[in-house]
Amino acid sequence: MNESTGDAPLVRIRGLRKRFGDNEVLRGIDLDIAEGEVVCLIGPSGSGKSTLLRCVNLLEEPTEGAIAAAGHDMTGPDADLDAARRDIGMVFQHFNLFSHLSILDNVTIAQRRVRKTPRARAEADARRLLAEVGIEGKERARPAQLSGGQQQRVAIARALAMRPRLMLFDEPTSALDPELVGEVLSVMKRLAAGGMTMLVVTHEMSFAREVADRVVFLDGGVIVESGPPAEVLAAPKTERARGFLHRVLHPVD
Amino acid sequence: MAPRTEPRLAPRQRRRISRAVQYAVAAAAVLAVALLADWGRIADSFLRLDIAADMFPDVWTAFWNTIVYTLFAFAFGMLVGVPVALMRVSAFGPYRWFAACYVEVFRGLPALLVLFLVGFGVPQAFPGLQYPGGVYGQVAIGLGLTSSAYIAESVRAGIQAVPKGQIEAARSLGMSHTRTMVTVVLPQALRIVIPPLTNELVMLTKDSSLVFVLGVTAATMELSKFARNELTSEANATPLLVGGLLYLLLTVPLSMLARRLEKRGDAR
Repeated sequence: MNESTGDAPLVRIRGLRKRFGDNEVLRGIDLDIAEGEVVCLIGPSGSGKSTLLRCVNLLEEPTEGAIAAAGHDMTGPDADLDAARRDIGMVFQHFNLFSHLSILDNVTIAQRRVRKTPRARAEADARRLLAEVGIEGKERARPAQLSGGQQQRVAIARALAMRPRLMLFDEPTSALDPELVGEVLSVMKRLAAGGMTMLVVTHEMSFAREVADRVVFLDGGVIVESGPPAEVLAAPKTERARGFLHRVLHPVD
Repeated sequence: MAPRTEPRLAPRQRRRISRAVQYAVAAAAVLAVALLADWGRIADSFLRLDIAADMFPDVWTAFWNTIVYTLFAFAFGMLVGVPVALMRVSAFGPYRWFAACYVEVFRGLPALLVLFLVGFGVPQAFPGLQYPGGVYGQVAIGLGLTSSAYIAESVRAGIQAVPKGQIEAARSLGMSHTRTMVTVVLPQALRIVIPPLTNELVMLTKDSSLVFVLGVTAATMELSKFARNELTSEANATPLLVGGLLYLLLTVPLSMLARRLEKRGDAR
C-alpha cells in the first residue's frame, strides 16, 4: 500500500529525535537515501549513529519524527513493523546468529517461518547465498564453530535471504580481528556493486571512501556534514569533522 | 625481640603436611567405625538377602509406578510451567500478575498439602468430578502443580538469560513477538535450564513418595510405600536399603544424562 514510486527515496527521515531518559541522542535528523545508494554513517562514539540506524527499522522507537523505509511508513499509526522489517535486512556488530541453529537453518529459518517458503526452496536459496558470501561446506556447523568473519558473512546471507530492498549495517566489522575485516568488507562491496541500497555505520574509512556514494558525519546527535566521500573525507568543511577524521586516521598523533 | 631461628616451612611443604594430617584423620575415622561397629547386627538389620530376594519381583511394580508418577507430574509441570513462564515475562500486565500469584501460591504450599487438596478437597467441592487416568491423573495434577511453579521460575530465568541480540536479530528478520519466542528464545532458554529442570525431575522422583496419602493399592503403590510395608511386615530394615538403592538407580543416571546434555550444549 505504501510502495514507493520511481523517484521517491527508499529511506526518508524527517525531524527524528530520540531521547533515552534525559539524554537526547538524536536531535533532529533529516536524511534521504535514494534507491541503490550506499550511505556510510561516521562519527565519534556516542554521536548517535547506531541509534539512527536502529531507528530506521524501529528496533529503537523514535521519540519524535517520521520515518519511511523500503516503501513502508514506519512511524505511522497503522505501521505493520513485522511486514516492514521483512524488506529491511540488518547486520549487527556481534553477528547475533541464532546459536542453537545450524548455519543452514540460520539462513532459512525466517524464510520458512515468516515467508512460509517450502523448505527445499529455502535451502536452495540459502546454499546459493552462502556460496555468494564464500561460506561453503559449513551448512551443518554451529555458529560458534565459525570464525567471526565467517559468522558475519553468514549473518549477511541470513539478512539477504528475505530479499530485502534495504540493508542496514551496524558496525559490521568492529568486533572482528583485523585480518578478518577484509573478507566481510569485500562481501559488502560486492553487494553495493550489485545495486543494493545500504546504510552502513562504520569506522572503516577506506571502505567509506571506496564504496560509499555519500558519507554522513554525525556528531552530538545532528548531521554535521554530508556529501560524497571525496568531499567529506578528503576535505571536511567543519572543524569537528576534521578533528574526528584526524583522530581516526592518525590515532597515535 | 630475638629473631626467629628455626627455618620457616615453604608454603608447598606446609600444604603437603596439612594434606597428610587430613588423610590421617580420615583414615582414623574410618578405622574407628570399622572396629567399633557391630557388623553382625548391622548386616542383620539391613542386609538380609532372603528378605531382599522376597521383595522381587513385586518391587518392580512399585519401581515402575514411581517412574510413571514422576513422568506424569513432570509432563504436567512442563505443560503448565512453560506457559506460566511466558506469562511472567509478558508485556501484558494481567498475565504477569496472574503468573506471579500462581508461582507464589504453588511454590509456597507444601507438596503434601496440594496433593491432599487435589485428592480430597477438590472432589468434595465438585462431586462427580473424575480425574482422567484415575490415581495417575490425580498424581500428575497434585504433584505437577507444585512442580509447575518451580519449572516456571527456572524457565523464566532461562528466557531472561537469552542474549538480547538474539531477539533483535529475529525481530529484524520480520518475526513477530510470538514467533520470536517460539523459534528463537524458548529453544535456547530450555537448553539453559536443563540443569535446574533435571534437579526438578530428581525432586519429583522423591516427591512421588507422597502419593501414599491418596490411598494406593498394590497395583498403584510406589517405591517408598512398598518398602515401608515390607519394613512393617518383616520387622527388618533391609527393604529400606533396597528401596533406597532403586531410587538411586533412577536419580544417578538422570544426573549423568543431564551432565551429558549440558556438555553438548557447551560444545556449541
